[in-house]
Amino acid sequence: MKPVLEVAGYTLDYTTPLGSMRALHDVSLSVARGEMLGLVGESGSGKTSLAWAIMRYLAANAVERAGTLRLAGEDLRALTPKQLTALRGARIGMVFQDPSTSLNPTLTLGRQITESLELHRGLSPAAARAEAEAMFARVGLRDPAAMLRRYPHEASGGEKQRVVIATAFACRPDCIIFDEPTTALDVVTSRQILDLFATLQAETGVASLYISHDLAIVSGLAHRVAVIHRGRIVEQGVTAEVFGAPRNEYTRTLLAAVPRPEERLVNTMPGDATPLVAAKHMTVHYGRPAFLSGLFGRKPRGVLGAENVSLTVRPGEVLGIVGESGSGKSTMARALTGLAPFEGRLTVAGRVIAGAAQMGRDYRRDVQIVFQHPDSSLNPRHRIREILSRPLKLYGDPEGLGIETAIAKMLEAVRLPADFANRYPHQLSGGEKQRVAIARAFAPRPRLVICDEVTSSLDVSVQASVVRLLVELQRETGAAYLFISHDINLVRQIAHRIAVMHRGKLVETISIEDLAAHGPSHPYTAQLMAAVPRLQTGGNEHEFR
Amino acid sequence: MSGRYLLRRFGLILYTLLVVSVIVFGITQVLPADAAVMLMGENATPEQLAALRARLGLDDAVWVQYLHWLGGVVRGDFGVSMTSGLDVLPTIVESLSRSLLLAVLSILLMLVVALPLGILAAVRRGGAVDIGLGLVSYLGVSFPEFVTATLGILLFADLLGWLPATGYVPLLEDPVQAVRHLVLPVATVSLILIAHVSRMVRSEVVDALHTDYVRAARLKGLPEGLVLRRHALRNALLPTITIVALDVGYVLGGIIVVEEIFAIPGIGRQLIVAVQNRDLPMIQAAALVLAATYCVMNLLADLTYAALDKRIQYG
Amino acid sequence: MVELLHRLVRSPQGAIGLSLVVLVLLLALFGPALAPHNPEALGVLRRYKPPSVDHWLGTDQLGRDILSRLLVGARATVLLALLATLLGTLAGAVLGTASAFLGGKADEAIMRTVDAVMALPSLLMSLLIVSAMGRGAENAVLAIAITFTPGMARITRSVALAVRRQDYVNAAVARGEGALYIVIREMLPNVVAPIVVEMSIRVAFAVMLFATLSFLGLGAQPPSSEWGLMVSEARRFMHLSPWMILWPSIAIALVAVGFNLLGDGLRDALNPRT
Repeated sequence: MKPVLEVAGYTLDYTTPLGSMRALHDVSLSVARGEMLGLVGESGSGKTSLAWAIMRYLAANAVERAGTLRLAGEDLRALTPKQLTALRGARIGMVFQDPSTSLNPTLTLGRQITESLELHRGLSPAAARAEAEAMFARVGLRDPAAMLRRYPHEASGGEKQRVVIATAFACRPDCIIFDEPTTALDVVTSRQILDLFATLQAETGVASLYISHDLAIVSGLAHRVAVIHRGRIVEQGVTAEVFGAPRNEYTRTLLAAVPRPEERLVNTMPGDATPLVAAKHMTVHYGRPAFLSGLFGRKPRGVLGAENVSLTVRPGEVLGIVGESGSGKSTMARALTGLAPFEGRLTVAGRVIAGAAQMGRDYRRDVQIVFQHPDSSLNPRHRIREILSRPLKLYGDPEGLGIETAIAKMLEAVRLPADFANRYPHQLSGGEKQRVAIARAFAPRPRLVICDEVTSSLDVSVQASVVRLLVELQRETGAAYLFISHDINLVRQIAHRIAVMHRGKLVETISIEDLAAHGPSHPYTAQLMAAVPRLQTGGNEHEFR
Repeated sequence: MSGRYLLRRFGLILYTLLVVSVIVFGITQVLPADAAVMLMGENATPEQLAALRARLGLDDAVWVQYLHWLGGVVRGDFGVSMTSGLDVLPTIVESLSRSLLLAVLSILLMLVVALPLGILAAVRRGGAVDIGLGLVSYLGVSFPEFVTATLGILLFADLLGWLPATGYVPLLEDPVQAVRHLVLPVATVSLILIAHVSRMVRSEVVDALHTDYVRAARLKGLPEGLVLRRHALRNALLPTITIVALDVGYVLGGIIVVEEIFAIPGIGRQLIVAVQNRDLPMIQAAALVLAATYCVMNLLADLTYAALDKRIQYG
Repeated sequence: MVELLHRLVRSPQGAIGLSLVVLVLLLALFGPALAPHNPEALGVLRRYKPPSVDHWLGTDQLGRDILSRLLVGARATVLLALLATLLGTLAGAVLGTASAFLGGKADEAIMRTVDAVMALPSLLMSLLIVSAMGRGAENAVLAIAITFTPGMARITRSVALAVRRQDYVNAAVARGEGALYIVIREMLPNVVAPIVVEMSIRVAFAVMLFATLSFLGLGAQPPSSEWGLMVSEARRFMHLSPWMILWPSIAIALVAVGFNLLGDGLRDALNPRT
């Protein structure tokens, strides 16, 4: 069968002030009708550049060195701008990463699909509306007629992504490119969208190129997979074969980095059952009603962040907190570090702490936090030396080595070279910055380290190495972790117990042994676990198909 | 847009006017002038002055005088001019109408020039128009109105003799002469605005052209003209409304200078004359009316914005 | 500091702006020493002269050397505008920081009042203040400073609040740093940068405002050679010598262009991530 999309020997450079940079090197791949090809790679691997190249939407400094791009045999590189406009949206569609930014906020959802239908299928406005309504119904939008009239801000993230999908499929294209289409969505929503892709793809037989950094999603969705690394396709083949028996070294590293709940990274639960930290009925509100707001009829904006949460962390224990965005898990981190005022009772090593004001020197030393974005948590105007020296100056240099030696040792402990002390944060990569933040948190020998989504802004392989580092540090120092993450697979790898949060409430706390033996006891936990895609490495069973 | 939002906006305007009235009244109280002496002249006897002071309430506590004055303002009574002895209100209304003509024409000229210029520079980024606009706008915002006006008179009135240097002709009396007299003042006021607004429009359009939804529109196969009109401009021009409204402050400031230079009997010139003569009621009225104009313009801009932008839910 | 200069001169705006501003500041400081003639020296026989070898920029209605007057006037124009901006920035920074720090009702009250004050156009505001305090250069400086205060307060507050929300400040709070360290070492360096940018652009505006006040007879008083005043005086003689009006006008615009360019250049140079 002739491939619908065919890329052969494609090489792309970007010219920069520092010279020419190769983005894609001799890339060849093809997608047949009815097939979904997964293109997986980390950030900077060139996977998005390839999507732009196929869509003929290259940056001004891009230079195409060699190769061909063909859609149903037609040379895309030879198209005139006019032919290109006729082709885009009609014969090749695209689903974007973030539906909240890819829809125009000032146009109704209906208009954004009918403009395509009118243009490419020559429908009259009335016919286009009818067709759009049918499309909306097909992608599972409830009350499609009402949805046509709504504006993007009146729809949820999942609904918006369904609109984008409806638009991509509306003109019955030969090929659709999916660019990380579920990254911006919550786990449960994302699961529903993935199911929708599988259904639509099977029904329409469209050739699909699915670009993602998430191997688990691709393993359950794509028929074939291509792994891209530094602009080169390093391995390509049937999904089950590539993921089941990877031949390439990089593919193996990448696969090993994917969190697998059955691969436990920490030892069994520490014996000591007296809690290190105990929070009882903690409630956190955000914001205060503002002055004059009553006068002008504004509603008080005190938002509930977390409600009546009780949890304990034992010495040396890793307590995972999982939940979707807005579930209140980060709110707990802020309350426990005195960044958000709370009501309720907090006991630390027997001492009762009634509020942030009572978090004295000992508490501050014992409880440390690592934030999600190292870009924000490291002061951009301080050198690494200054950043790392602060905890030493505050809590003393435990081994009496002198600041310079102590900083070198801290860097070594997080596997960074000593000369990084002279650098500024912006001269480091994301993973390196997060290591500096971790070093800073461990400097005062804390007893509890709160990790607030510390790996979610990092690439898969970097994420794995940071997690490995955290596990090693935990073993060496015996510190307890409050490990907050949306990735339930990752939490199941390293936590002793898991606390599940939903809409500000703690729905259950369950030990990993109980979870393994009896499964979740709360339906929400069950829903969450069922929604998280898991890496499929063998056999022919497909999660979404 | 709810009634509650409107109520809130009006509440803020009232508060603004209250603050402005306190400032204006407070400042005019500091003015080293004895209103009684100014009204009766240097030859008045101490008894006559005392009687007048008592009648005008000048011996009362400052806050009593303020409330008295504010009460009058609310009823539309701004007092009596100290130089002409006439009621302030009619004078202010008449001169304000002349100033508004100047202001509205300047804003219109600005919109007609700045919008297309900014959009063109953004669409052809790095092109000749863009680079030219960049240079011109740096110069434009760096010339104070009095310099532009003076150079304009020097060139077009003095050296070339195309336009009259100063003066004001009512529009209904002699339309041709009226327009000829308005060309330089309007051009002066709008120059700095054009420089500022066109740069703002440019950067808004550039930002809009880089949004994900514009990219999405292009990748849907929409022709570039449609992408620009339907997707980019709609979003880019909304913030421009706010920018223009805030620039009304510049316009009003510019009008003060321009009216002085071109001898246009508007509210700005009225104010300067009043400052020179220490005519307290006139200063107070003119300043308050200018601030109120600014507030109303901003309210109009906010309402327009709210009517056009579907995202904002005022409540 | 050296690094900052390096980054600044990399962009054309920064390079041109910096050179212009340095040149203007040098002239303001050493102007009187550099002046080829006595700026007060009258000469009935050499009135309204166009530029010549002896008088590079020509002479005015009293036969005074325009170049010398401009050089001496630089001090009155530029240094006073700089002073007014500094005062306004300082007052605004204190008010804005206090408002951000107090938060809640006090913050809302202060910011609503600041908004209200800003409803008075800046020229009108400074005009009123000068007329209350009496005309003169010192009062004009104060008037401009007061006029700038609400705007600078607004900017300082928003920058301070944005920085306050950053995780590096949260991290410092969480590890138990003192308030002084957090404000001075963690927040200040990040707050100062945008304020310096705004200040630089405001100096341009202050120069224009100050000159305008002098032009209207409310700022610097004769026989000062403040540039706005020079334009004002030259107006009456424009049909006799256009040069008299041209030179101070160009000088004002050049200074304003310089500070505007410097501000834009600083904006890029102070961004640590570029």
